[in-house]
Amino acid sequence: MPEWRGSLFRVLAVGLAVAMVSSCAVRTDQVVRDPDTVRMALNGWVGYEASAEVLAYVLREEMGYEVQLLRTAEQASWQALDQGALDVIVENWGHEDLMETYGPEGNGTVVDGGPTGNEGVIGWYVPAYVAEEYPEITTLEGLREHTDIFRTAETGDKGEFLGGAPGFVTQDQGMINAFDLDLEIVYAGSEVSQITEVRRRYADEEPVLFYFYDPQWLQEELDLVKIDLPAHEPGCADDPDHVPCDYPVYDLNKIFRAGFVEEDGPAYRFLDNWTWTNEDQNQVARMIADEGLDPSEAAERWVENNPDVWRDWLPEGAAKR
Amino acid sequence: MTTMTRPVTAPSGTGGRGDERGSGNPLRHTWVQALLVVALLVAGYWVSRLLGHPSWAGGFPTLAGDRFMAWLDTVYAWIVANRNDSPLFLYFFNYVSVGLGSAVVLVDRFLDLLTWPGVTLLGVFAAWRVAGWRVALLVLATFAVFALSGLWNASMTTLALIITSVLIALLTGIPLGILAGRSEGFHRAVRPVLDFMQIMPAFAYLLPFVLLFGIGNPAAAVVTAVYAVPPAVRITALAVRGVPSGAVEAAVSTGSTPWQVLTKVQLPMARRTILLGVNQTIMLAVSMVVIASVIGAGGLGDAIYQALSKVNVGQAFQAGLAIVMLAVAMDRVTGAVGHGTRTPDIPGRYRLPVLAGGFALVAAVVAAARLTGVRGWPREVSVDLSDPVNAVYGAIQETIGSTTEAVATWLLGAVLTPLADLLTHSPWWLVVLAAAALGWIFAGARAAAVSGAALVAVGLLGVWNNAMDTLSQVLVASLVTIVLGVLVGVAMSRSDLLAAVLKPVLDAMQTLPPFVYLIPAVALFTIGRVPALVAAVVFALPPVIRLVDDGIRGVPEPALEAARSQGSTGWQLLTKVELPMARGSLLLAVNQGIILVLSMVVIGALVGAGALGNDVVVGLAQSQLGLGLASGLAIVCLGLFLDRVTQGRRAQRA
Repeated sequence: MPEWRGSLFRVLAVGLAVAMVSSCAVRTDQVVRDPDTVRMALNGWVGYEASAEVLAYVLREEMGYEVQLLRTAEQASWQALDQGALDVIVENWGHEDLMETYGPEGNGTVVDGGPTGNEGVIGWYVPAYVAEEYPEITTLEGLREHTDIFRTAETGDKGEFLGGAPGFVTQDQGMINAFDLDLEIVYAGSEVSQITEVRRRYADEEPVLFYFYDPQWLQEELDLVKIDLPAHEPGCADDPDHVPCDYPVYDLNKIFRAGFVEEDGPAYRFLDNWTWTNEDQNQVARMIADEGLDPSEAAERWVENNPDVWRDWLPEGAAKR
Repeated sequence: MTTMTRPVTAPSGTGGRGDERGSGNPLRHTWVQALLVVALLVAGYWVSRLLGHPSWAGGFPTLAGDRFMAWLDTVYAWIVANRNDSPLFLYFFNYVSVGLGSAVVLVDRFLDLLTWPGVTLLGVFAAWRVAGWRVALLVLATFAVFALSGLWNASMTTLALIITSVLIALLTGIPLGILAGRSEGFHRAVRPVLDFMQIMPAFAYLLPFVLLFGIGNPAAAVVTAVYAVPPAVRITALAVRGVPSGAVEAAVSTGSTPWQVLTKVQLPMARRTILLGVNQTIMLAVSMVVIASVIGAGGLGDAIYQALSKVNVGQAFQAGLAIVMLAVAMDRVTGAVGHGTRTPDIPGRYRLPVLAGGFALVAAVVAAARLTGVRGWPREVSVDLSDPVNAVYGAIQETIGSTTEAVATWLLGAVLTPLADLLTHSPWWLVVLAAAALGWIFAGARAAAVSGAALVAVGLLGVWNNAMDTLSQVLVASLVTIVLGVLVGVAMSRSDLLAAVLKPVLDAMQTLPPFVYLIPAVALFTIGRVPALVAAVVFALPPVIRLVDDGIRGVPEPALEAARSQGSTGWQLLTKVELPMARGSLLLAVNQGIILVLSMVVIGALVGAGALGNDVVVGLAQSQLGLGLASGLAIVCLGLFLDRVTQGRRAQRA
């Protein structure tokens, strides 16, 4: 087949070129790449997508960059920064352990880029109709008393706690142990099946207790109530088997590849300047999730309507190149 | 996917074979023995339960497994810390990684350079030249689906990845296959490795490859190539062996060198079969690129994930359809090359001009397109299928939702939970003995040893309880698959009309990425083990149905005539003649059904099946190499056990 022959030739040519360009030792960040392309991680939730698409839109349309969005899990995105396959994570939730491994103290390949201006909340949620029927359930004592209403065929005589996706930050088992709750975690296995299950029970007004977070587009669609648990204090989550406190409130931040910062190009300075509010992000996320707009279209709409917000992010002298 | 990769050589008309050991009715004999073993296991479970599960009669001790996982985690940490210092990486893995990453990007750029009219024309022309106008029309339709679903660019990315990884797979697989075809020793050495590669769940080796080759295109290309290489090796070896020894001897006796024997006799004569292997390799690559999107491969798989994260079944279905079309088109094109039929009948002297003319046309179209600024298909011109699909999905959920929920609850309470309890809470050594006994009953001493050893290995990996949970789910799903498969397969063999209707449906079921039907499964059967079971059955059913249908249709007409002339009823004909005579196919169907169900263990974890599959997913998502790899290896061990029990005796004869 002609297509194959073409690519065969190319593979050989590339191999040869790579061998010649690199003086023997090859580092992973030497993959062929275009300096005018910004490579962004795209993690799997809509809020993240909203931020990434707006930034990508401005970079493309106003600053003349190419933007490549790579959909990966959170941990994998960090690895990709470390390996030089990506330039930036635009919404990071915690992950101090990864910062230790890859940050200045460890490999020195990634840099904390400061807050995005968004605030992230993780917690345990129930639908509003559950909180109405059992008003005291939003407190720890009330929850402890009523774990039986969450029993399902899968968990038998224990209450079911619907866990989050495998890649997400969790301390649920530690909290269940420390608060002495008669709950068993059922892992939905992925965010999508968790949402599908919550929606299904919501439609039938069945009780459900689950791990969730905000900003998240489903919060707009369903009326959810967060359970009030003892607030997070520094160090209270150190023992993963015994966590007597709620999740912390995260100031979401940006993570850059160290090399990207050192280059100090207009794209880096633009991303460094960028901050916006939860309200900004939700406007875009709602268009994507609720109205079913194509993400790039939603970004375009927001950019058109909010020039005074994003104009401030542009670095000096960064008119369209 | 094993079904596509093992050449199906269903022995037809092998019925009436006497059992080696038994007297009287051998089949009943075997089953009675098996039932005895199961009864013993149940008794052991109750004894252990009455004694309050003492430690000597519980699960496998996890000490060795914990050490193994901890060791793997230190390996992981070492690689992360030394990736850009260690010579192993600087001079080997990073070369591969950078080379492959660049290759995929360049192929993608090349497709982009051709523009959409150019790619379409080239594809259609090539398909017409090698496979005739019908296939060319199919290829045209495939490109139309890419374009109209608004997924042109994603499709090209996927195509680039497939081209690169198939190329790697063939460049390594065919030489290895030739070697295996010419040397018995090498063949024997390579076979277990291939078996291993095919049973290891793809998710489990994503993480090690990401670690070695880097995230994104490099790892995706390697993973896809590794997943797709076994059939290339196997079928090439088979083809080279299949060349009649007379032809080889004749060539040797006329003084040919070994190289000449290979290139002038063996390869030309094996060409068609080798092309069948190429076909299988491509099909596996197509199914793997979707999974590879988890590690940042992009393309159509990415489009599916994007739709899934918004719980948009219609959108996911649309992207799934593009993949199905891609798979079917590639299958038909390469299949036609293999059969050598339906190629347009061009007289020899016109062949070169036609080829040159075709390329000139493609070049002209590309030039014209580039001059007018056409590149990818404009996204505005598209047909949106997602709304109607979502409407249908909603309606189905509305009407049968409550029934399916009830089925799910019953299945959990009455079948899955008790079986999982039985396996996890019986003494581990009793389970191992039972496995070995079943191996011995169904497949002889060797299979007994392998079965026992496989389960001990599961224990040593430190994931005994999860593995038993998974085993219980696999057993139930396999049973459902086989019962349904036999029923539908028999019905299909009775009616040509039904067969004609079902065939394309089965094709689509087999190529549709399983992710697409995960959401409907959850919506209908709630979260947990049941939707996973449903997804596994849907995935494993098509080949089982096909094999049963094939087997029954393969029963020779005279045998049927004879039975009919003796006044057999339709039921007698089926149970006394057709099913026994199709025994070979039925056994193969059982084996394939089980192995395919097993390959869905990890996918099932995405809808809450838990157990081994969940640990593989967690291992990947949280970068816990020890947990992910140990669980993946445990799945391989379970596969080995189930495979040997269900096909051991047949393999002995072969």
